[in-house]
Amino acid sequence: MSVLIDGLLAILAIYLALQSLLAPRLIKSVFLFFAFGLALALAWVRLGAVDVAITEAAIASGFLGVLFLDALRDFSPAFPAKQKNPEAAHNVLVKNNTKSLLLSRIPLGLGLGLFLLIALEAVWKTPEGGGLTAAAEAFLPESGVEHPVTAVLLNFRAYDTWLEIGVILMGLLAIFAVGGIKVYRKPNMAAQDPMLRQVIMFFTPVLFLFGAFLLYFGKTGPGGAFQAAVLWGAIGILLHLGGKSIIEEIPRWLRQLILTVGILFFLVLGFLFVAGGNALFEYPRAYAGLLILIIETLAAISIAAALTAIFANLNQMKEDPNETESIN
Amino acid sequence: MTDLPTSPFPAFLVGLPVLLATLSLFFRARGKAVVGLAGSLLTGVMALFALFEVTRRGTVIHILGGWEPPLGILLRMDPLAAVFIGMTAVVGIFISLYAWRYFRAQEATTGGFPLFWPLWLFLWAGLNGLFLSNDLFNLFVTLEVIGISAVALAVLSGKKTALVAGLRYLLVAITGSMAYLFGVALIYGSTGTLDLGLLGQVLEPGTTTTFALLVITLGLMIKMAGFPFHFWLPPAHSSALAPVSALLSALVVKGAFYILLRLWMEVFGVSLTYAAGQLIGLAGAIAVIWGSWQAFMQTSLKLIVAHSSVAQLGYLLMIFPLLILAPGVTADSADWLSPAWTAGVYQVIAHAFAKASFFLSAGIIIMALGHDRIESLRDLVGHMRITALAIAIAGVSLIGLPPSGGFMAKWMLLKGIFLSGQWWWAPVVLTGSLLTAGYVFMLLRLAFAPAREKEAFRPVPRSLEVCALVLALGSFLIVLPADNLIQFLQSGEVFGTGIESIMEGGAHGND
Amino acid sequence: METYQIYNLTSAVLFVIGIGGVFAARHFIRKIIATIIMGGGVFLSFVSFAERDALTFADPVPHALVITGIVVAVASAAFALALARRIYQLTGEESFTNDK
Repeated sequence: MSVLIDGLLAILAIYLALQSLLAPRLIKSVFLFFAFGLALALAWVRLGAVDVAITEAAIASGFLGVLFLDALRDFSPAFPAKQKNPEAAHNVLVKNNTKSLLLSRIPLGLGLGLFLLIALEAVWKTPEGGGLTAAAEAFLPESGVEHPVTAVLLNFRAYDTWLEIGVILMGLLAIFAVGGIKVYRKPNMAAQDPMLRQVIMFFTPVLFLFGAFLLYFGKTGPGGAFQAAVLWGAIGILLHLGGKSIIEEIPRWLRQLILTVGILFFLVLGFLFVAGGNALFEYPRAYAGLLILIIETLAAISIAAALTAIFANLNQMKEDPNETESIN
Repeated sequence: MTDLPTSPFPAFLVGLPVLLATLSLFFRARGKAVVGLAGSLLTGVMALFALFEVTRRGTVIHILGGWEPPLGILLRMDPLAAVFIGMTAVVGIFISLYAWRYFRAQEATTGGFPLFWPLWLFLWAGLNGLFLSNDLFNLFVTLEVIGISAVALAVLSGKKTALVAGLRYLLVAITGSMAYLFGVALIYGSTGTLDLGLLGQVLEPGTTTTFALLVITLGLMIKMAGFPFHFWLPPAHSSALAPVSALLSALVVKGAFYILLRLWMEVFGVSLTYAAGQLIGLAGAIAVIWGSWQAFMQTSLKLIVAHSSVAQLGYLLMIFPLLILAPGVTADSADWLSPAWTAGVYQVIAHAFAKASFFLSAGIIIMALGHDRIESLRDLVGHMRITALAIAIAGVSLIGLPPSGGFMAKWMLLKGIFLSGQWWWAPVVLTGSLLTAGYVFMLLRLAFAPAREKEAFRPVPRSLEVCALVLALGSFLIVLPADNLIQFLQSGEVFGTGIESIMEGGAHGND
Repeated sequence: METYQIYNLTSAVLFVIGIGGVFAARHFIRKIIATIIMGGGVFLSFVSFAERDALTFADPVPHALVITGIVVAVASAAFALALARRIYQLTGEESFTNDK
């Protein structure tokens, strides 16, 4: 029975992945990609990786899906937004047609097929390395938290996590570097749409509380900084769509502080340990639990702010202010 | 591994640039540049202190979080890592000084690109992190830090060509990282560890290991623009701002090469065959010929220099066939290992100096002329003597004429090739040098030719020219401490060793 | 067949589909989606090993690596999306014109 469920889920994920690449219309691609993310999230649950499932659903499927949908206003002919070059868009559509794609790609297909066979053999024959479960279990009591994944993320391999918080900040800087963000214009949908305002008013406290819940219970069960950050980031995105771009309306120094406090606190704390003769990120055992909770909270705030800012910047990426008008 | 002396330097080498990059975000345009330049100098000086520490104490480690591998992550600064970090520091300092002046000079029209500074410091942290890392997954994270900051720097100009080249670069970089990570997943599944030192002891040959080696090598080849994955490099490197082109060519591509070298030598020895070495050497050889020929055919300076990078990276791949010994040969009897390693290290350093200098000179010429079409280089000597001199010196090192660092690299490569009896690589080295001489002398001939018509050379700050010249001279000066450097490197574990191929395959690739 | 083996085989299939998509798909957005699918395959491989190596709980190290990996992949994808949108705004191009 369980093999059947897993087999069907696996086939579904493969089907959705293929279809999201082959679907003739871009909007269909994006929705199938959403579905693919959810199928993967189910697979994580089946494999007992609840933390990964939440992260997948929230960030990879949810946040990224929203970014893709927002981008479709630029690209997709199905959306009435704007089209600079309808001819070109049409050509691309024709070329993306499944049939011509397959015909023109026979050598690539053969190569990939061969590669797939080798890959399947390699994963099938993987020796049992045993993993690090036993080591994690042995040191869990010293980590300051009870949930093993949190212990790995915030203690055993805190260095990776710290770098990763940096990567999110860099992602935001990189989007600034792309340019095209001239003015911050607040889309004014909430004023026209009482529905949206109601939705925002209802969801803001719910998301906030649910995020705080995930953050706090990341100590003992699935959840933690990243999952909480996405929920808080969703608040920022909703408020932004409702015309209240909190990230843009606060003073500059405060904005920069919110964006960087996660990585800065983590690092400065680490440096203090080094100054005290310990290694980077080597918490004093007695305070590990408390320090991890503070780090996670600040990291969640910074990541949420960064995700909000990434969405806001992509959402408002417009060549000149006149065009911004027509979109909104 | 964990009984080696510990040192706080590795932690600071990664942490300090990130701290400074983050702090610079609190400042506006001019402030970012001030913090950025000060941060670069500080990071560079600290890196040189760290290098000094390794020369004094030997390999040092830093056990992050106090958790020893396999559960935790360990940073290791051995002589090879220290040399790469030192090279990044020296080249980085001069590129930073150049960038400061270069962006100041254009502040009025472009806004001075303040984002350059935090992104460059993040990039630097990523590079240091990569050289220090001793953990397969952490290497992936540092590769991503480098990838994102490098592409962001490459598109900083906001021009259409840069954006298109940048998107292609980014997609290629993500694909390479994911291929690498797939290999890491399989290695973790088969061994339960990510630590390079432990993996070297426990990894066993088999289908899975070979496949992991394949995808990891392909992923890293994509990232270092090895043939046939070189297509993304020339547009991305040539369309970036001058200081960025210098960073990308001199430092960023070396990161992937460094990991490839480490993994082949320290981890995957059990799965490597003589034929695998010949194959990657062949990819390098094709890159040398193809890249040099393409460079010869270009008509704009930055494209010449960018294609030349493809060729010069090809030389790096050509040391791999020398490091993998045919069955029956032991490392003790293989007297070509030391020359091959020396060739690799000198090629990395000499190319970093010469190529950085070349791109900085190209930036000066674009600033003076508004474009970089080479026919306008006529009478460059009359207008900008220092830049012409820098191009000549850097060019001589790229060709590999004595007494440059490039000569040292190519001479040692030839020595290794002949000692090992793999003579078929020699014509490639010579042809590559001839083609390089072709385009370098073409540039110099133009630089000395009398001007046909009055080209309007706008005045350029002298300090920019000096930065380019110093880096060019650096590609010669690195020869002076050669004996000490090789001795220092040999005190590490890896340098001077080879892989004794245990599988059959010695017959392949010989003819 | 064990549960982890099903997902392990799936991971290889998704990885190859992703690679194929990065090279064969033309539209920028589809190329970006393809990189995420590739990543999904890689992460599935990690997590299936974690399930295989479970004692009282599943191996937490791959879970942590995958969470880190997902976040990193999403940051890269968001950046790629920004580039793609900007290129479209400036030129109206939705794919690389000289297809590689």
